[in-house]
Amino acid sequence: MATAHAVSTRRDLRFSGAWIPALIAGIAFLALPFGRPDRAFFTLDPAFRPWALGSLWVWLVLAFALLALIASLLPLRVTARGELLTVAGGLGLLSGVSWLMGTGTPFGMGALLSLIALVVVTGYGLSESGRIQSDAFVASSILFVSLFIILFILFPLFIVLRTAVFVDGSFTLNKVWSTLNSPLFIFAENPYTEQSELALMSRFAVIGTVLGALWALSRRLKFARFALTCGVAAAVGFFIGFMIYGRGALPTSLLVATIVATVSTLTGLVFALLGQRTRFGFVQRSLGAISLLPIITPPFILAFALIFMFGRRGIVTYQLFDISSNAIFGIVGVSLAQILAFTPIAYLVIRGSVASLDPALEEASQTLGADRWTLFRTVTWPLLRPGLANAFLLTVIESFADFGNPLILGGDRGYLATEVFSAFAARFDPNEAAVYGSVLLSMVLVIFFAQRWWLGRSSFVTVTGKPSSGSFAHLPRVMEGLLLSVFALWTLLVLMLYFSILYGSFVQLWGINNTLTLKNYRDFMTIGWPVFLYTARVAAVSAIPAAFLGFLIAYLVVRQRFFGRSFVEFGSMLSFATPGTVMGVAYILAFNVGPWLLTASSVIIAIAFVFRNMPVAIRGGVAGLAQIDPSLEEASTTLRASSSVTLRRILVPLLIIPLIGGLIFAFVRAMTAISQVIFLVSPGNMLATVLLLGWVEQGQLGRAAAMGSILIVSMLTVILLLMLLTRRRDAGVVGVGA
Amino acid sequence: MTSSPIRAAPVRLEDVTKLFSKEVVAVDQVDLTVEPGTLVTLLGPSGCGKTTTLRMIAGLERATSGRIFIDDEEVTRLPANLRDVTMVFQSYALFPHMNVFENVAYGLQVARQPKEAIRSQTLEALAMVGLEGLENRATNALSGGQQQRVALARALVMQPKVLLFDEPLSNLDAKLRKRVREDIRDLQKRLGITSVYVTHDQEEALAISDEIVVMNLGRIVQRGTPHELYSRPATRFVADFIGSASFLAGHYDGKAVTIGGFSFPHQQETPAGEVTVMIRPEAIRLSTDRAGLETTVRSSSYLGAVTDFVFSSPHGDIAATIPGEGLTPLLRDDTAYLTFRSAGIHLLPANDRHKNPDS
Repeated sequence: MATAHAVSTRRDLRFSGAWIPALIAGIAFLALPFGRPDRAFFTLDPAFRPWALGSLWVWLVLAFALLALIASLLPLRVTARGELLTVAGGLGLLSGVSWLMGTGTPFGMGALLSLIALVVVTGYGLSESGRIQSDAFVASSILFVSLFIILFILFPLFIVLRTAVFVDGSFTLNKVWSTLNSPLFIFAENPYTEQSELALMSRFAVIGTVLGALWALSRRLKFARFALTCGVAAAVGFFIGFMIYGRGALPTSLLVATIVATVSTLTGLVFALLGQRTRFGFVQRSLGAISLLPIITPPFILAFALIFMFGRRGIVTYQLFDISSNAIFGIVGVSLAQILAFTPIAYLVIRGSVASLDPALEEASQTLGADRWTLFRTVTWPLLRPGLANAFLLTVIESFADFGNPLILGGDRGYLATEVFSAFAARFDPNEAAVYGSVLLSMVLVIFFAQRWWLGRSSFVTVTGKPSSGSFAHLPRVMEGLLLSVFALWTLLVLMLYFSILYGSFVQLWGINNTLTLKNYRDFMTIGWPVFLYTARVAAVSAIPAAFLGFLIAYLVVRQRFFGRSFVEFGSMLSFATPGTVMGVAYILAFNVGPWLLTASSVIIAIAFVFRNMPVAIRGGVAGLAQIDPSLEEASTTLRASSSVTLRRILVPLLIIPLIGGLIFAFVRAMTAISQVIFLVSPGNMLATVLLLGWVEQGQLGRAAAMGSILIVSMLTVILLLMLLTRRRDAGVVGVGA
Repeated sequence: MTSSPIRAAPVRLEDVTKLFSKEVVAVDQVDLTVEPGTLVTLLGPSGCGKTTTLRMIAGLERATSGRIFIDDEEVTRLPANLRDVTMVFQSYALFPHMNVFENVAYGLQVARQPKEAIRSQTLEALAMVGLEGLENRATNALSGGQQQRVALARALVMQPKVLLFDEPLSNLDAKLRKRVREDIRDLQKRLGITSVYVTHDQEEALAISDEIVVMNLGRIVQRGTPHELYSRPATRFVADFIGSASFLAGHYDGKAVTIGGFSFPHQQETPAGEVTVMIRPEAIRLSTDRAGLETTVRSSSYLGAVTDFVFSSPHGDIAATIPGEGLTPLLRDDTAYLTFRSAGIHLLPANDRHKNPDS
């Protein structure tokens, strides 16, 4: 052909592309201040230029950047140059970081830019030396992701643990001891009551022992097992008594979690069974809508609505039955709010395992003469058990971690998640907050990893059951009626609550002056609207890195083999499992002073959103990549495309739907988040949910309802738009990546 | 592309080993040279290491030890996208979101070639594989054979130093397979492009290759032209894997082979003594008199042009393909006397008990 020239790649090897980041590192070091005074991010203060810092150490950054620059332009052997670049980049990075940590100077723009550039240099080095079997883009990505996980997940959690045992700079267990012994944490024997709580707990232990013994007798157990059973039953009985009669955050949280997990799991099972086997199509359709509720709603909005319904001036309690009671404040209210909030989550998990049931199994068992009850007991139940256990444990974790509901409805009792906040924000004791945080974190992580260990990988990835072939027998009529009434009750309650938010936003003063007004919306427009806009902006800005980082991690974990892959997996899982309040206190402790000073800014809020919501995008990415034949990427690679080009031109177009989904979910989750960011807001950086919560606490219920309504409606719109988009696109890309 | 022939480049593997874990040796100390402009086939049963070897040449896998050279330049640790190598995949691996033209043009676009050059080269490549006029089709609107041609054009348009094929025909039906493989061979010869071709189909390997490398358990068992491998297999495994053969214990005295009481002349440079005699089915003739190896007919299947027999003898079963029906129709349990044409006979060491894992 006329213009034929072989597409040569040789010239790419004469020098290394690392010269660009190396040069950037050098220029950024020289042109911008390496440190900064306090919170002035964009300062050009000459006092923080490298030569004004009076330290030779910091110049090592420039030295190594120059070394990398020279090495990348010298005609060396590729692998030798790679090793040199790795060493230069790594040591440059290390000297910069160690100087910052050693002096405690907050990083400046120069440090930020040059250290980032040095990470890229190291990535080039690792790739060219062949230590990471991929190109510089993947190698740099691996480094960045690992550093992010260390800096924004592991480091803050480590600081929490350290703050629990380091008080005023020295190691001590006194704080742990005093916190765990305080009546706020555990309060077994209450001297101000007539009864003896411990005696009551012992009574439960006795009841437990008797029940255990009866059960053991019915099973004709041998003596050793008999004794063991009785012992366990006694302990369980005492524990139940402890949860009921004990005061303090630990027994309260345990009790609420147990109640909520039990009821939510059962209700979730009811929904799942109805969804699969009811005779009524509209029930099935409305279940789809129910599964959307927790996504679009700030987690505590139902608590707030419960006050409207059942509070001192509630529609039901006061106006219907003329009761003015505080009963809703306390364990009853928190449990109710959490049950309503977490049942959809339990439903989604159980739906997966219900969907994996095979109708053929049931038919087989029926042909063997089993009646329906026997069928359920011997076939369906054992198959459902893992899904139920999974839903139960997930709900326990959610309940422990829930912050908004107990804060609003907690009443006179403390909860672990709220105590973290109270210790920090009300009692001004970061060490105590850290102790509470450590306790909560370890409880949640133990359950989380135990669950993963027992139930395997499929448990926390949203379970997508394969569509079952064949059809299930309808439920027995009596049973269906029973399940439908549970469903109807739940739906009625939820609808009522949502309606009350909407209605409450239009009345003068809830329960006292019920004339309709637009006053609340006028108030909202003046005070709330700027905050709402700011929240939307931060949420949108953070959704982009959250979605892309999540996808990148999914790509690295699924498609690349590298040293530290399980570390990346573990780190992202940790950010998923850690309760928001713990992460919140961790961020405020870790990023309030020292080299990584970031608090009191939009940046820290955006970072919190990114790492909180990234796991959703990871899941979407992992599921999407599983649908794509890896040889597509290999074909692109052999056609000379670097992995960044392959990502951009092959994977992103093919995975655009899950990517947009990740983006939207990250945005919506950020808009409705509260537990972590409540620690991070500052006067100039207020968020919609935090403001809403504040209004509820101040009794500005009308305004709060207006804000809540606007949040719910706008999030619903966003989600519906997404659904519309994916449905339309799905039709066009059928067979993609098959 | 005919006006600017691809500069053919040699490929060399030196002592290349690939471990997938400490226990799993995929490729075991392989030495291999592919002469410029030739098509070399890696042939072997699944799991023999042929695909891994190919992927190491492509750069999609990295050798655990050893060195790989393309065009006398070491590329062992060079990433795949920096090697002048392209590949045709078993699954075609066409980009589903691009049409035919965009698929073929992809590599040129990535290399930022001028737009006009991309257009003319792409169209030329498509013409070369016989897909003119289909450039605006969606790839899933093409037949399997056409899809594989797009994949071929996509690989050729880059004018690579080495073209790799990973079982490119295994997703096609038998008839199409024959045609596409002839086209591939045609193009490869015309362009003189160094090619490495992986297959587990011996017929495909025989038809297409300048040279076949037989692999088993991660090692090269034998290499040679198709004719060499067929007529002079080094081991029973090769003999069994390429074509079919019967193996009988015999004795060689330097001039003649004796099986049981029957001797026939044969010349081969192998030490005299006990041997395993490999007999190709087509080397067998029915003797009209009683001069021959005495066997009984165990089964026969009439296939039109030929008849397949299995004869049993005290020295082992013998499979034979005999043109027509022979002189007299043979029935089960009839006695038959066999003679052997020297061209289809090859002597192997007597202790070669290696079995074909596929059989």
